[in-house]
Amino acid sequence: MTGGYAPGRFVRLLAWATLLYLLLPITIILPVSLTDQRFLSLPAERLSLQHYASLIASPAWRGAIWQSFWIALASTALAVLAGTLCALGCWRLSRRSTEVVRALMLLPLIIPSIVYAIGLYRYFGRLDLLDRFLGVVLAHGVTGIPYVVITVSTALAAFDARLEQAARGMGASLSQTLRWVILPRIAPGILSGAIFAFIHSWDELVLVLFIASRQVFTLPRKIWDGINENLDPAMAAVAVLLIGLTLVLLLADLALRRARDG
Amino acid sequence: MSAAAHALALHRLGKRYGAVAAVDDVSLGVERGEFLTLLGPSGSGKTTILMMIAGFTEPSSGAVRLDGRDITGLPPERRDFGMVFQGYALFPHLTVAENIAFPLRVRGLGRAAREAKVRGALDLVQLAGLAERRPAQLSGGQQQRVALARALVFDPNLLLLDEPLSALDKKLRAELQEELRALHRRIGRTFVNVTHDQEEALSLSDKVAILNHGRLIQIGQPAALYERPATRFVAGFLGTSNFLAGAVMDVAEGGFTLALGATRLVQEGAPPGARALLSLRPEKIALLAPGERATNEVAGHIAGWLYLGAGYALQVATADCGEVRVTLPAWRAPIAPATGLPVRLGWPADAAVVVAEDADAP
Repeated sequence: MTGGYAPGRFVRLLAWATLLYLLLPITIILPVSLTDQRFLSLPAERLSLQHYASLIASPAWRGAIWQSFWIALASTALAVLAGTLCALGCWRLSRRSTEVVRALMLLPLIIPSIVYAIGLYRYFGRLDLLDRFLGVVLAHGVTGIPYVVITVSTALAAFDARLEQAARGMGASLSQTLRWVILPRIAPGILSGAIFAFIHSWDELVLVLFIASRQVFTLPRKIWDGINENLDPAMAAVAVLLIGLTLVLLLADLALRRARDG
Repeated sequence: MSAAAHALALHRLGKRYGAVAAVDDVSLGVERGEFLTLLGPSGSGKTTILMMIAGFTEPSSGAVRLDGRDITGLPPERRDFGMVFQGYALFPHLTVAENIAFPLRVRGLGRAAREAKVRGALDLVQLAGLAERRPAQLSGGQQQRVALARALVFDPNLLLLDEPLSALDKKLRAELQEELRALHRRIGRTFVNVTHDQEEALSLSDKVAILNHGRLIQIGQPAALYERPATRFVAGFLGTSNFLAGAVMDVAEGGFTLALGATRLVQEGAPPGARALLSLRPEKIALLAPGERATNEVAGHIAGWLYLGAGYALQVATADCGEVRVTLPAWRAPIAPATGLPVRLGWPADAAVVVAEDADAP
């Protein structure tokens, strides 16, 4: 960056303080996960990987990780499909009413998830979806839609409408235009939305507490129970893995944006 | 003219947006193999007309006919018209070859047939070496050629061009004008072009339609429009013109006299009424040498002048005709222009043309 004013000392200090404030609680997890003690604490004599080992050896933890992974994958697919179609429809019609639809789609972000969870609990009970894989996938998929609607709408706003005209002028049908012109252009937006929808499901707890109990036991749920019942340092190891995966996905999203803009 | 060329006709075409008429009752015909340009300032409705021909905009009234068949209700994807968009609208995620192959892929052509046609189209616009590039890696002129190849590769019924050269710099524009003209001659298809650039319209077209405020003002061959503009707007928009308005006196066989203050001008043609408006092109006015005579003589002095390389543009202040614009070649110019220099202007009776005042805008 050339030109502009260099930040003053106070602003620099404030920026670093904010950064530390954000990062410290996360980084404290790392040494805790390497503790040589049998309870949640900082390492006393040496660093140890024993809790990672017990994590991998434990069928309960492994099951929770796999279950979380499949739920996140399925609900991401659902969110991407519904969110992309919604954004495309609103974009094509582009009337005042579609603005309302788009705003409605953001509701799951705005409404506290505990309110949402209570509503789901009542309906899922009648539909026999409580404590089912499908139930959690539906709940996470629907609450993941806003992320996809936002990123795909943004990608569509940058889409040159003349490209669609050009395609139609050359004889392309709606589905050909969609497959060969519009989707390739907004693919980075869709992928970006998918990453956020995945992360959303991957670390969602409140909904799961309400609509799942024994059959479906996700990773955040397992951590929650672990904290309530015993202070096993394996939880810190899990947390590090969670942070790691989220970080990888965010970096992927960043790389994606850079590739698109560059 | 080739067998594949088609004739287009617009019949009483209109487009209203609320109370505003963007296009108002426009009727015109394009012959098979003809190059028609719709020329007008921004807001004249020329692009709206092109979009109605292409099928992207639905007319409020009137009809579009191709070879006598009404196509007004046909969607754009079923018209088989090639189109070069303003800014080209090339697909950024596809290579040059894939862009050109797009209309063929849409039509379900096999790979081999597609490749042969794309090669042919690339040769047609002299871009054979750039097939694997992306649009972003091309210059403006190259992008324009790709857009042209893409619009022509599927043997369209008609080629529509929406300000095809407006994004290019002046020199490149002149080059591509010549190429476009040669291309039209070679393939003999019907072209409809839209532009606000009068030079481009004059040099490219077989026929020019001049539009203003959504109405067709005059249509004809470029030279006919330039030499015999029907209204003040046409005379002023195509090239530059002096306008002389005065009272009609002494109407005789084949001509009349126009009075502007104390000045009397002899003019060919029939007067439109008690008053007449003349359009006089700056290049048709001569500087008279001392003692030289002309049918019409006006004295004045140079109020301002510009050197343009090939010539001079003079502003001559006169007593009765106001400021008169005169151009003369710089090579062996009869005078060295200087502000305040007295000059005498002269022109024959057939130099100016009688034009009508334009009807007011709706």
